[in-house]
Amino acid sequence: MALGLYVSRASGKVDSAIDIEKAISDARDEAAVVRVVDELFDADVQARMLKDIVDAELDAIVLAGHSVQHYATSLSGQHLQERLIDAGLNPNRIVIANILEQVALVHPEDKAGATAKARALINVAVSRAQVAKPVEGHSTEPRHAALILGVTTEALVAAQRLLQLGYSVILADRTDGRARATEASRMRATAAYILGHPKAEFIDNAHMLDGHGWLGDFEVTLHTDGNRATFRVGGIVLARPDVREWIEELRQHFKVDIDDDGNARSIDPETHPAETVDPGIVVVPVRQKDEPVRNIIASADSAAMALVLRLSVDTTVHFSDVSSVDESLCGGCASCVRTCAFGACYIGEDGLSHVDERRCRACGKCVVSCPVGARDIMSSPHDHLVGAVRSLAEAEVPGERVLGFLCGGCGYPAADSASTYIAESGTTYPASFLPVRIPCGGRLDTIYVLEAFRAGFNGVVVFRCREGHCHNLIGNVDMDRRINLLRTVLRSRNLDDSRLRIVDISPFEGERFVEQVNELYAALGGLANGKGGPQ
Amino acid sequence: MSKPRLAHIVLGGCEGCYVSLLDAHEGLVELLDVVEIVHSPLTAGTSMKECDVLLVEGAVTTERDERVLMDARAKADTLVAVGSCAVLGGIGGLRNLYPTREVLADVYGEGGGPSKNVPDLTARVHAVSDFVKVDIAVPGCAPQTETLLSAIGAAIDGRAWDMPRRNMCDECKREKRAMLEHSVDFVSDAVYGLMELETIDPDLCFLEQGVICMGPMTREGCGARCTTAGMPCRGCQGPSRVDFEQGGKTIDALAAVLPPGAIMFLDDLIGTGYRYSMPISIFPSAYDHEGGDSDE
Repeated sequence: MALGLYVSRASGKVDSAIDIEKAISDARDEAAVVRVVDELFDADVQARMLKDIVDAELDAIVLAGHSVQHYATSLSGQHLQERLIDAGLNPNRIVIANILEQVALVHPEDKAGATAKARALINVAVSRAQVAKPVEGHSTEPRHAALILGVTTEALVAAQRLLQLGYSVILADRTDGRARATEASRMRATAAYILGHPKAEFIDNAHMLDGHGWLGDFEVTLHTDGNRATFRVGGIVLARPDVREWIEELRQHFKVDIDDDGNARSIDPETHPAETVDPGIVVVPVRQKDEPVRNIIASADSAAMALVLRLSVDTTVHFSDVSSVDESLCGGCASCVRTCAFGACYIGEDGLSHVDERRCRACGKCVVSCPVGARDIMSSPHDHLVGAVRSLAEAEVPGERVLGFLCGGCGYPAADSASTYIAESGTTYPASFLPVRIPCGGRLDTIYVLEAFRAGFNGVVVFRCREGHCHNLIGNVDMDRRINLLRTVLRSRNLDDSRLRIVDISPFEGERFVEQVNELYAALGGLANGKGGPQ
Repeated sequence: MSKPRLAHIVLGGCEGCYVSLLDAHEGLVELLDVVEIVHSPLTAGTSMKECDVLLVEGAVTTERDERVLMDARAKADTLVAVGSCAVLGGIGGLRNLYPTREVLADVYGEGGGPSKNVPDLTARVHAVSDFVKVDIAVPGCAPQTETLLSAIGAAIDGRAWDMPRRNMCDECKREKRAMLEHSVDFVSDAVYGLMELETIDPDLCFLEQGVICMGPMTREGCGARCTTAGMPCRGCQGPSRVDFEQGGKTIDALAAVLPPGAIMFLDDLIGTGYRYSMPISIFPSAYDHEGGDSDE
C-alpha cells in the first residue's frame, strides 16, 4: 500500500498551534509521499498530488487539515475529492484528518497538547487508509427527470427552468396543485408554460408510499386519489421544506436533515441553500415573512441549478458503503432486519442476510446489531473503529483522556462549529478530549465503549442528534437503547456509569459542545472509582 | 509404529466434558485402538507424561490449575481445549464479578476459607488460552460427543479443525416470522421467563415469543438441541468470533428486537449475556476498588 500524506498549514492556522513535524513523525514511516503545504486546495498543490498519484503509484491519500465537513460542504473540498477519484483513487482511500477545526483552532494556547492530539488523529487516519477496503461504484446514466414536491412559486419556477433544459418534471402536491398553478396570478406565464408542456405532469392529492435509489436514479411511488403511481427520476426537489408530511415521508426512505424548527434544511443554509445531505435531493429555503419575490425566484433558480449541475453529466456514480455479508458468519438471525429503519436488510432464500443497496443509507445499525460481525460499513469499518479507540488511548496528551464519539450528522459538525465559538469567547476544552467520527449514533457498538474504558479512557461521551433529527430516523434512539443497557455491564464491573454520557446536539451548537465537554470533565474529576488500581 | 499418546487433564470444571467423552461408549474402544492414553482422570495417581495430544478441560481457577496446565503444555505437542470452561472461561467465570475474598466469605463465612490442602484461588478465572497456545478449541457445555471425537481425531492426524462459525440460528429449526418483517415495533411487547408463559409455540422463534434466546449471539455446531427440545439457547458455545463480546452483543442485537426497558429489568442481564464467556470479555473482571485491580 503506497500512501500519500498531505498536510495543510491552512495559511498559518495549523502551524501556529501545532508542531507539524512532530505531529507527522509516526506517519512519515508509513507514507511513501509526505508533503506539508500551505493550502491543500491550491491549484499547484493539487497538480502535485495528481502527479504523485502517478509517479509514486499511490493507493491511498490522507489529507490532514480541514474537517471532513469541509469536504462535504465546500466547493473546494468537493472538487479536490472529485479530482483524486478521477485520478484513480478509490473514494474510501481518501481519508481526512481534521487537525484544523477540531485541533488547531480549539487548542491555540496548548501547543504540546494540540501537537499530540494532531499526531494521534493523523495516525488514526493513516491506519484507516490502510485498513479501509475499496468501495464499489454503481454507474448510472442520470435520468433527466425531476420530482418536485409541493406546488409553490418556487416549484413552478424550478419546473419551468428544468423543462426548458429538456428535463421532464412531475409536480406532486398534497392537495390541488394543478388548480393553484392554473389560478396563480403572479406566475401566470410560468404556470402556462408548464401546464401546456408535454413533459410536465401534475399529481394532486399525493403522498409518498415508497422510494429508493440514489442521485440520477430514484424510484418513487406516490399515492394519489386511490391509485399508486411509480416514477423514475434523477432528482427530487422539495419545494415545501415546511410541510411535515412531505419531510416525514421523504425521511422514511432518504436522508433529509431538519432544522431546529422541524423544517427540511440544506447542508449549510448560509453557503449551500439547496443541496442536502442526499446528493440527489435539493430543497428550497423556508420563506421568511414577506419574502420578496426576487428571493423566492432566486431560491428556485438555486435549487434547479443545484440539481442540473448534478444531473448534467454522462454518468453519476453511487459508491455503496455497505459490505456484503460474510457467509461463513451469518446464520440469518435477522437482528439486522429488525434494526434497519429503511427496510434495506432482508433474509434471502439462502437464509442469509442481504442488503438492498438502493435502500441502504449506510447508517451502520445493521453492522452494530450483527452479533457475529458478518457485515461492515466500508467507510467506517469495525477494525478501524476498534483501532482508533486503542490508538487514541495512547495519545500523549496531558491529563486524563476522554473519548468522544461524534455522529457525522450533528456532533461532528458541532465540534467544528465549536472552533468559531472558541475563537470568539476564548473558552475551550482540554486537548485530552479525543474525537472519533462515526456516521451515525447508531454505528456505536457496545464493544467500542468497553474497549475505550479498557484502554484507559477516563470518560466516554457520545454526541448524537436530537430526538426526531437523526437522518437515519432512529439511529439515535437505537444507540440510546444499547448504551443505556450497557450501563448494567459497566456497573457489573464496578465502573461508574456516569463516566459514559450521551449528549444531544445540533450541528451548529458549538457553544453547547464546549460546555458539555467541560461539564463531563468537571463531573469526572469528582468520581473516585472506575479506573482500576487502589483508589 | 507406536500409537500417538493422548493425555487428558481436568482443571476447574465439573468434568462434564469427560462424561461427554465417556458417552462415546463403543467409540472409546475405537479410540483406544488408535491412541495410547498416558494420562486421564481415570488413571489416578499417575504423573503427567509426554504426549502427542493433550485434552484440557476446565478453566484456570486455582494456582494448582495454572501449574498443572503449564507443566502439561510443556510436555504436549497439540493442545485441544475441551468445553466452554477451557475455551471461554465458563460459568465459573462469573465469579470474576466479585473480589476473591468476597467469594470466599460468601461460601465459607466472613474470615473463613477452605482447608489448607485446597489450592488458593487465582484472583480471577481464566480461559486456558490466557496462559498457553491452544491448537484446537471445542466450546460447548458440554461439547457433543461426536464433536469431541471429531476434534480429537483431527488432533491425532495433525489436521486443522474448527467448528462452523455461523450463529446458532443457522441450525435452529424454529420459524421466524415477525423477525423477518420490516417494522419499527418490537417483536414482542414484553420479555418473559420461560415459566411465565401459558403456552409456548414449539415451532416459532423464541425471541418472537418474548423469550430471551442466546442463539443469535452464539456459535453453532451443537445442532440446536436446546431449542429443538423446547429450551432457549443459553449461549454455551460462546460467540462466533472471540473478539465479539457475547454479553455486549446480546445488547447490540436485541435492543431493537425486544423492548429494552424489559431487557433492563431481567433478573440477570449479565448472567444471561456472559453466562459462559465472562473471562474472555473485554472487561474480564470487575474492578476491585479496595484491593486494586482484581485482574492483577
